[in-house]
Amino acid sequence: MTSAPDISAAADDPRLVTDLAGLRLRNPVLTASGTGGYGPEYAGVLDYRRLGGFTTKSVTREERPGNEPQRIVEVRAGLLNAIGLANVGLTRFLREKLPFIQTMPTTVLVNVAGHRLEDYVAVAAALDEHACIAAIELNVSCPNVADGLMFGTDPALLQKVVAATRHVLKRAQLVVKLSPNVTDIAVFARAALDGGAQILSLINTYVGLSIDAQTWKPRLANVTGGLSGPAIKPLALYNVHRVYQTVARAAGVPIIGMGGIQTTADAVEFFLAGASAVAVGTALFIDPTIPVKIAAGLADYLTAHNLPHISALTGQLRLP
Amino acid sequence: MSNEATAQPVCAVRARVDACTLVCREHVAIECVVDAFPPSAPGQFLQLLCRDSEAAVSALVEWSDECRPTLSDKDLRASAPFLRRPFSIADQWSTPGGDVHVRVLSRAVGPGTRWLARLRAGDTLDITGPLGRGFRIPTDDAPLFLLGGGVGIPPLLYLARRLHELGRRNVLVCFGARTRDLLPLRLVQEPACDATPTRCVELPAGAPYSAIVAGDDGSVGWRGSVVDALRAWHARHGRGDHPAVVFACGPEAMLKAVARTTRALGLSCQLCIERQMGCGLGTCLSCVVRVRDAVQPTGWRWALACQDGPVFDRDDLLDYAAVPGA
Repeated sequence: MTSAPDISAAADDPRLVTDLAGLRLRNPVLTASGTGGYGPEYAGVLDYRRLGGFTTKSVTREERPGNEPQRIVEVRAGLLNAIGLANVGLTRFLREKLPFIQTMPTTVLVNVAGHRLEDYVAVAAALDEHACIAAIELNVSCPNVADGLMFGTDPALLQKVVAATRHVLKRAQLVVKLSPNVTDIAVFARAALDGGAQILSLINTYVGLSIDAQTWKPRLANVTGGLSGPAIKPLALYNVHRVYQTVARAAGVPIIGMGGIQTTADAVEFFLAGASAVAVGTALFIDPTIPVKIAAGLADYLTAHNLPHISALTGQLRLP
Repeated sequence: MSNEATAQPVCAVRARVDACTLVCREHVAIECVVDAFPPSAPGQFLQLLCRDSEAAVSALVEWSDECRPTLSDKDLRASAPFLRRPFSIADQWSTPGGDVHVRVLSRAVGPGTRWLARLRAGDTLDITGPLGRGFRIPTDDAPLFLLGGGVGIPPLLYLARRLHELGRRNVLVCFGARTRDLLPLRLVQEPACDATPTRCVELPAGAPYSAIVAGDDGSVGWRGSVVDALRAWHARHGRGDHPAVVFACGPEAMLKAVARTTRALGLSCQLCIERQMGCGLGTCLSCVVRVRDAVQPTGWRWALACQDGPVFDRDDLLDYAAVPGA
């Protein structure tokens, strides 16, 4: 077993500096949306100077209080959540959250959710005004609100919302986060690219259900929730592999891979499957510094395997 | 009210277990030592990783031929708790050398707490903390009444130490459990069975406070709940000029009874509540609780137990006692 990686070694290691279709990252390890708040929550515990990128909690046009509790339930090797897109809304985000984001010494992506096309467009256009926001990540795949999955599970609608959002963005990169709750994710990756997505991020959570055998009731107030954590890692890897092989490689569109990543080895698997960057989500709840540790571990991995740059791993899965 | 400035928490710190001792049936006291740990306030909590932490944080596991990992039957059967579990700080003190000792009490009820109960001196425990907002200690000389039920007793033990350090004299402690051998305390003498306070409980740092002990089944001290004991004590002694401030922690049903009773008796009250938590750091937004907020059209908003609490003023909590006049 190797000792804990030297975190300082990973800061601005040129072998880790990553360019995702113009989105520049210090290293290819980001936080995933919904697991790091808006930034201040982990200030002082996660060193943003060593983080590849930070993705905010979803922002919607209107403020949303979120679902009734119980909002989370732990399951074997994972977490089922139904928070319900609780967030402060665009106006308060700009007033209360943006000042801190402006001070964050890392690349910031703001996740945007909505329930009408106009909502996505309005929020994205307003965020595009602010230079501290490097990219907009479209959340078209929240499973925990009444119509959250609509855009993520209808390819024609997805293409439409992506195109409309891209149209209003003058500066920020456009990332589209894909849902795995579909028959073939490649169809949706294609639709997102046709709409003008510059980067794909995948996967969002899987819809799941947990039942209390004593009370015969669902454990979550929302009945169903989104499954995350190591339980979904093999599923996430398959989806990244599928999108890379069928759509993204040929189109030259980078993938941010996520789903159950906890260790450097997990991250390496995602690169091999086709990711150009990775995001850590649920594991932040256990240790917010994991992305920094993984970045340091990746530097060690490149040294050990005599590789010039992290991109040398992307899509290098050795198929039979 | 004095409100101690809360220090930035430290995450995923490796603490060395100094002792893990059985304090009663189902409860262990875990005392661990950390090189450096921020100061904490009573009522604040820790997030403990209730499993071996190697896999979660190691960079990459290299399996050499000489040292192949072997999975025992136990490993294969284990359902390791994925997330951390919150525990109130039961005591914290520093040694002259700078080491910080932190103590928690854990009741073994599931795989995580059973893992904790198996810890031995020298083992490693992965801790994050201190988290949340603790008890607000009034700066006037109001009598203070510490009310703890079962698993809710630990933060009040820590509060007793702090009050003793602050030189507070007018402090009374009331602890209860379902039955004698579920009381996670060391009794130094037999508690009175008529709710008369005596020096029957060993408190941290030798805090010299009298205690009432209550057992639901009559097997120890006063027969009945801590709320009954509070009422009995108040009927006899509580009608002084200066109404007591009650600090309470315990099961949800007990806290609701405490909220109703203290309101009826005209006592102010702080409740230390328990919620399932994902992160403990205010990001997962799962440990929500309704608090009064006149600014909202609904009159309330969601607060986070991990950040805005776990200690709340009774009157801020919507679901614990009926609103007067509502």
